[in-house]
Amino acid sequence: MYQYSEQDHQLLLERVSQFRGQVDRRLKGELSEEEFKHQRLRNGLYLQLHAYMLRVAIPYGLLSSEQMRTLAHIARKYDKGYGHFSTRQNIQYNWPKLEDVPDILDDLAKVEMHAIQTSGNCIRNTTSDPLAGVARDEIEDPRPYCELIRQWSTFHPEFNFLPRKFKIAVSGATHDRAAVAVHDIGLRLVKSDSSEETGFEVYVGGGLGRTPMLGKVIRAFLPKQDMLTYLEAILRVYNMLGRRDNIYKARIKILVHETGEEKFRELVEAEWEKIKAGGLFLRDEDFNWVKGFFNDPAYEAIPDNDVDFENLMLNNAEFARWVDKNIELHKQSGYRIVYLSLKTAHQPPGDVTADQMDAIADLADKYSLGHIRTTHRQNLVLSDVQLKDLPALWEELKALDLATPNYNHVTDIISCPGLDYCALATARSIPISQAITARFDDYDFINDLGDVSINISGCINACGHHHVANIGILGVNKKGTEVYQLTLGGSAREDAAIGKIIGPAFEADEIVDAVGKVLAVYLESREEPEETFLMTYRRLGQAPFKERLYG
Amino acid sequence: MALQVYTASLLKEGLVAYLALENGQPSWTSDIHQATVSEEDTLDALKQAAEQSEQENIIVAPYAIDVLKTEDGIVAATKREQIRAEGPTIELPQDNLRESRQAA
Ligand code: HEM
Ligand code: SF4
Repeated sequence: MYQYSEQDHQLLLERVSQFRGQVDRRLKGELSEEEFKHQRLRNGLYLQLHAYMLRVAIPYGLLSSEQMRTLAHIARKYDKGYGHFSTRQNIQYNWPKLEDVPDILDDLAKVEMHAIQTSGNCIRNTTSDPLAGVARDEIEDPRPYCELIRQWSTFHPEFNFLPRKFKIAVSGATHDRAAVAVHDIGLRLVKSDSSEETGFEVYVGGGLGRTPMLGKVIRAFLPKQDMLTYLEAILRVYNMLGRRDNIYKARIKILVHETGEEKFRELVEAEWEKIKAGGLFLRDEDFNWVKGFFNDPAYEAIPDNDVDFENLMLNNAEFARWVDKNIELHKQSGYRIVYLSLKTAHQPPGDVTADQMDAIADLADKYSLGHIRTTHRQNLVLSDVQLKDLPALWEELKALDLATPNYNHVTDIISCPGLDYCALATARSIPISQAITARFDDYDFINDLGDVSINISGCINACGHHHVANIGILGVNKKGTEVYQLTLGGSAREDAAIGKIIGPAFEADEIVDAVGKVLAVYLESREEPEETFLMTYRRLGQAPFKERLYG
Repeated sequence: MALQVYTASLLKEGLVAYLALENGQPSWTSDIHQATVSEEDTLDALKQAAEQSEQENIIVAPYAIDVLKTEDGIVAATKREQIRAEGPTIELPQDNLRESRQAA
C-alpha cells in the first residue's frame, strides 16, 4: 500500500497542529461556533444528535493491521469502545470530545491517516473495489489510480469550495463492486477496442440523496494518461456552472441533468482541449512510481487444493456454509478472499468493537499479509488468505461473531445510523435492520433466497443507499410517527438501477411483514432457483408485489 | 401554549444538555427531568440565559423544545428529542455484551 513521503508526513503534522490551535481558540472563545464550524467540517468533525462525530478517511478502503489497531485504540481511549464502518468505506466515531480530537488526529497521523476530505464541499475520499488487486475479474488494479486522485485532490486549492461535496469511485473489474454509477464521477477501467491499452469509461452525474440519478457515460474511452486533466475539466465545468443558490440542486447530477448530457459533454471536452497540453499529463514514470506501492505481495506457489480444507467441507456443514457464502476465489492459486460479516443479530450494521478491531488486525497479520479492506456494503475483507488456513481462520472469526454466512444475502443489510445518532434523520434505521435480521435469520431461508440486497436510510439523504437496493427502505416522519417507504428493483452493480417506490409507507411494526411479503412473492414467482430477486422483479414488474402488499 | 425547555450541546463534550435556571443562575444538566420547564411568561428568561451560556462558550446551538408533563416527570414531545434525552434506542456494541449473548 502507499507509504507516506516526508512531505506527506509534514503536511499532516502541520494540519493537526493547525486544527489543535483552532480547537484551542474555540474552547477559549476566540472563535465563534459559526467560524469554527467551517474549520471542524474541514477535519471530519460533525456535531450530531448526541455528541460530536468524527469521520476518518480510509483511502479506497485499504487498511494495514497497524492502522486497524490505531482505530481500535481510538475507539477505546476516546470513544465508547466501538466504531462504525460506513457505506463510504470510512469509519465514524460517535462520541469523541472536542478537546480530544486533536490528540485523536495526532494518533491517526502516526499511522498515515486523517479525517481530511470526509466532510465539506470538496473532493471526498475516493472509493473503490474492495477486491482491488486480487479479484479474478480484474482488468487492472484501480488502486494506483485512486492514489493518484487522492494526491491530486487533497487540498486542491481550486476544488476546495465546490458548489457541493464531490465523490469519485474507481473500479477496475468487470463486475462493479464500487457502485460507480451512483457517484459524482465514476471511472471504470476498460480495454480499448483497438488496442490492449487500458483506459477509463467515464460516468458523470450519478448520485443518491433526494434526487437519485445514474451517472451518464460522457466518455467511452479516456486514455489513462489523461485521467487527471479530464477530471480537472469536469470539475472546472462543475465549479463554474454548478448551482450555489440552492443546496438541493447543487450536486453535479443536477447540472448534468439541467444542461443535458450532450451539452455537458461538449463543455467538458472544450475545457479539456484548453488544459490538456499544459496540465497534469501522466507519464510512464508517474505510473511506474505509484504502481510500485501496489505490487503483488510475495505469494507462495501453492496448489489450489488442500486435504484438511476439503475434509472439513465434507464433514462440517457450518463450515461449508461459511465457505459457500463468505469466501471468494482469488486470482492466485491456493489463496482465497474472505468476507468478514459485520451483519449479525448482535450489533448494528457496520459497527465493530475495539476488541474486534484488534483481533481483526491480528488475524490479518496471521493469515492475510497484514491488510484489511472495507466495503461499501459495510463489511470487511481479508484479501489474501491461504486455502489451508481457512479452517483455523473460521474458528477464530466465529469466536468474534464475524463469521455469519450472509454476504450479499438478505441479512447483509446496509443501514445508515438513522435517528439513533444522526441529526438529519427523520426515522430510525438500525432497529429496523435488527428486526429484519431477527425475522429472517435462518440459514436455509437466506440460502434459498440467494442474492438479494436490503438497504435502509433514515432520511432522504440516502446515506444507506436505499435507492440502489433490490429492496430499499426509507424512513420518514409522518406527523410525528416514523413510517417506512419501500422501494423495489434498485441495483448498485453493473446493471445499476434506481428502485421505484411501491406504494404508501408502512408503520414501524408493519415494515418487517411487508418485506416478508415481498420475499414471499419472489419465492413463489421465480421460474427457477437461479433466477434472482432482481431478475424476477424485472420480469414481473411491480404488480404482483403491489397486489400482495396492498391488495 | 405548549410547555418548553431549552436544550443545546455542550461545547467541550458535544453531549446533550438542558437548561436549569435557579434564582436567575443558569446551569446545564444532561437530565431532562432537571430542566426548567417554561410557562409562557418565563420562556424569555430561559432564552436569554441560554444565549448567555452560548456567548460564554459553555454550550452550542441552543433551542427550545416542546415537552409534556407525565407521571414520571417531563418527557420530550418528539421522537427525535426523546432519543436525544435518553440516548440511542439500541444497545451499543460492547465486547462483554456480545460474548454474553453468544454464550446464552
Ligand atoms: C453525520 C451524519 C451524516 C450526515 C450529516 C450526512 C449528510 C448527508 C447529506 C446531507 C447527504 C445528501 C447529499 C446530497 O444529496 O447532496 C448525504 C448523502 C450520502 N451520505 Fe451521508 N450523512 C451522514 C452520515 C453518513 C453515513 C454514516 C454514511 C455511510 C453509511 C454516509 C454516506 C452517504 C452516502 C453514500 C450518500 C449518498 C451519496 C451521495 O449522493 O452523495 N453518510 N449525507
Ligand atoms: S440517510 Fe439521513 S439519517 Fe441516514 S445518515 Fe444520512 S443524513 Fe443521517
